Amino acid sequence: MSANPAIRSQFDGRSPADVKAPVRIAVRDLNFYYGSFHGLKDINLDFRDRQVTALIGPSGCGKSTLLRTFNRIYSLYPEQRAEGEILLDGRNVLDPKIDLNELRSRVGMVFQKPTPFPMSIYDNVAFGLRLYEKLPKSELDIRVEESLRKAALWDEVKDKLKQSGTGLSGGQQQRLCIARTVAQRPEVILFDEPTSALDPISTGRIEELIEQLRTDFTIVIVTHNMQQAARISQFTAFMYLGELIEFDATAKIFMNPSKRQTQDYITGRFG
Amino acid sequence: MDASNPLATAGRPLSASRVRPSRRVADRILILASTGATALGIIVLGSILLMLIVEGLKGLTPELLTAPTPGPGSAGGGIANAILGSLVMTFIGIVIATPIGLMAGTFLAEYGRGSKVADIIRFLNDILLSAPSILIGLFVYTLMVRPMGTYSGWAGAVALAIIATPVIVRTTEDMLRLVPSPMREAGAALGAPRSLVIRTITWRAASAGVVTGIILALARIAGETAPLLFTALNNNSWFNANLLGGVPNLPVMIYQFALSPYPNWQSLAWSGALLITVTILTLSVVARLVIKDQRAR
Amino acid sequence: MTALTQSIALRRESGAARTAPSKGADRLFQGAAYASALLVLFVLAGILGSIIYGARSAFAEFGFGFLTSSSWNIATEQFGALPAVIGTVAAALLALVIGVPVSLGIAIYLTQLCPGWARKPVAMTIELLASVPSIIYGMWGLFVFAPLFARFVQVPVSNLVEGLPIVGTILYARIPSGVGVLTAGIILAIMIVPFVASITRDMLDQIPTVLRESAYGIGCTTWEVVRHVLVPQASVSIIGAIMLGLGRALGETMAVTFVIGNANRLSASIFDPGSTIASRIANEFNEADGLQLSSLMALGCLLFIITFFVLIIARLLVRRAKVA
Repeated sequence: MSANPAIRSQFDGRSPADVKAPVRIAVRDLNFYYGSFHGLKDINLDFRDRQVTALIGPSGCGKSTLLRTFNRIYSLYPEQRAEGEILLDGRNVLDPKIDLNELRSRVGMVFQKPTPFPMSIYDNVAFGLRLYEKLPKSELDIRVEESLRKAALWDEVKDKLKQSGTGLSGGQQQRLCIARTVAQRPEVILFDEPTSALDPISTGRIEELIEQLRTDFTIVIVTHNMQQAARISQFTAFMYLGELIEFDATAKIFMNPSKRQTQDYITGRFG
Repeated sequence: MDASNPLATAGRPLSASRVRPSRRVADRILILASTGATALGIIVLGSILLMLIVEGLKGLTPELLTAPTPGPGSAGGGIANAILGSLVMTFIGIVIATPIGLMAGTFLAEYGRGSKVADIIRFLNDILLSAPSILIGLFVYTLMVRPMGTYSGWAGAVALAIIATPVIVRTTEDMLRLVPSPMREAGAALGAPRSLVIRTITWRAASAGVVTGIILALARIAGETAPLLFTALNNNSWFNANLLGGVPNLPVMIYQFALSPYPNWQSLAWSGALLITVTILTLSVVARLVIKDQRAR
Repeated sequence: MTALTQSIALRRESGAARTAPSKGADRLFQGAAYASALLVLFVLAGILGSIIYGARSAFAEFGFGFLTSSSWNIATEQFGALPAVIGTVAAALLALVIGVPVSLGIAIYLTQLCPGWARKPVAMTIELLASVPSIIYGMWGLFVFAPLFARFVQVPVSNLVEGLPIVGTILYARIPSGVGVLTAGIILAIMIVPFVASITRDMLDQIPTVLRESAYGIGCTTWEVVRHVLVPQASVSIIGAIMLGLGRALGETMAVTFVIGNANRLSASIFDPGSTIASRIANEFNEADGLQLSSLMALGCLLFIITFFVLIIARLLVRRAKVA
């Protein structure tokens, strides 16, 4: 199991995994069910502050399912349920008493396909802000601009903030959704295959953006693209058939995995 | 036929078909019959419009739109009171039906997925959609006209609302279902409560379709006659502002005047019929154009 | 960048101070949606309840005999439903016999034969027929269709069949006025055609193109594709569509009232005037009281039962047809 130099070179000059960063999300004995189907099996995993953690694995391995437990978006569907503990800063997210709306304002999510709301670009970004903060117009303007700048979209849309968000290109729409999420200043941002519907150039811009966002947010990203995981994450979790196979610093996973299945997957032998 | 064609050189040109004559005949008959059926439909619609234009245009005078309907045997007159009565009752009917239909459709599409109650309501709403309107007239008669002791525009409006509601419920549900669920998830993921996601995101995404439903419902009730016969009835003067007593309206006026022996009444009926049909067909065409726009998005 | 990081750090300390949107509004909204949906149930129950309530004295007076009696005498207060029930069923069945083949023809034309550019306008024209108010069909039937029908069909046919057994009874018009049960059936047929045709068209459109193409690919003619591939695939839905049309024909009021002739007696000829449940209610309701009113309600009750039975079967067959 010797590391391929081409892979090794990818990690040169990259910010290394910070194993001493505080734990933001701690997953303990998590099990997940779709009706009677057992989707996640005894997952234990820590996500560290201001690090990008990638969840990889073949289709149906449960990586998206795991992501969708952190903000409990799955609870929109009555037949889906989770058991165990997900501690966000020490509070159990799966506690039935938790306020879901408040939780979701702290744990933002960006979806596979861009989901601009049928309203103006400005209102798209201000939507989440208005929910939780009563801001005067001037301050709202500042926050919207700040969020669009963070999402690297400001220069492209500053002259058409009143136009519909649905008129933007796919890549722009996805950055708009990121701006919308960032505007709420969540603690964690979940990305569910955010570039799978985009062209390579837009993908590159989103990846750069995620790299920048890491300075402010804890990020979890689901991706089916292993190069993407290698490029942007500090930690990587490999999942297979609803189980967590291996979790480690990304460089370690890609250069020197300790499990056979991980090795097979990242070298393309299955998946 | 190309000489190099192997089939042709094999001595069986393609034009000499293996299709038996009987198969050809059946095919010809099908094509002729179905083309004929379609032509028949178009001819009937054309003939109805032609009849309305020929008969209805004769009576189209300024008086038609300003004077109330004349009494039996008296000359002249217009249909202004019937037009106004129809407008008022249709408007009230839609005002009642829209919020109820919108909310019920929202329940079926957003809250009731997979629930038994929602399945039953959806099914019964579809039944109500095709229920004979005369039965709705009987219901409102028993519910309102009997207890109140008088025909009224209110009873008429309620009857029309009952007819309009299932149409709005159905189109609202259908249109909300076209909104992709990641849109709802994205709203929820920002911490928006469900009702806010529905009101500000899903409704807005489906707005054109929902408006279509309301226009379709308008088109449906604007020409309804049978339920008004037992609820609003008709009268030949202006109606009370409190809408009590018989309230004149186009459909019942057309029914009564068309079958009357007085030529001026008959002429008024034709003009009313032209007016109401043109209005309804316009509404239907507009609704279809709007819905096409929504589906294309 | 640092500024934002700091502001986030600041906010995190006061994170609990976020003002969450109120839960009450959320519950209120859901409650209102649920209540509106339940209203649909109550209206349906109300329709049945109010009609049964109105009909109670007629049912008490005549009992089961109401169904089998054919008298309708206001002076002696003897009322029976038989002529109206038979008229209703006869007119509706005639409408199906005439309307269904035409509807299928239109659906086949639109899906298989119509050139692309004409599809939308032709389909729209046919669908517009569904929007024409029933009272307009009534006027058209009475003033345009009936005179032509009397002159070109009733008179020649009556002359032809006079004296013949069976057909001489069924197809003989004593007074060839153009109105009657068959005229009502024809007008009803025209009214149900757009519904049945458009649902059938949708069902045929839903059949995967591959299936159609593979049938044409082995050399089928249009007729054979329709007969052996398309119709069997869509048959359940087509029957549902026909049942929907039947439900509409049974309850149709105004158009029928114009053209059926409103006779209270039963006649063996389909050229003769008759009446349906709906037409009789429309004709007599406003002048009726007492037992006559109750008997009209009882007729309404029968109509409710017949149409709802038909509509339930129809909706079970076509679960999600378009707004009809």
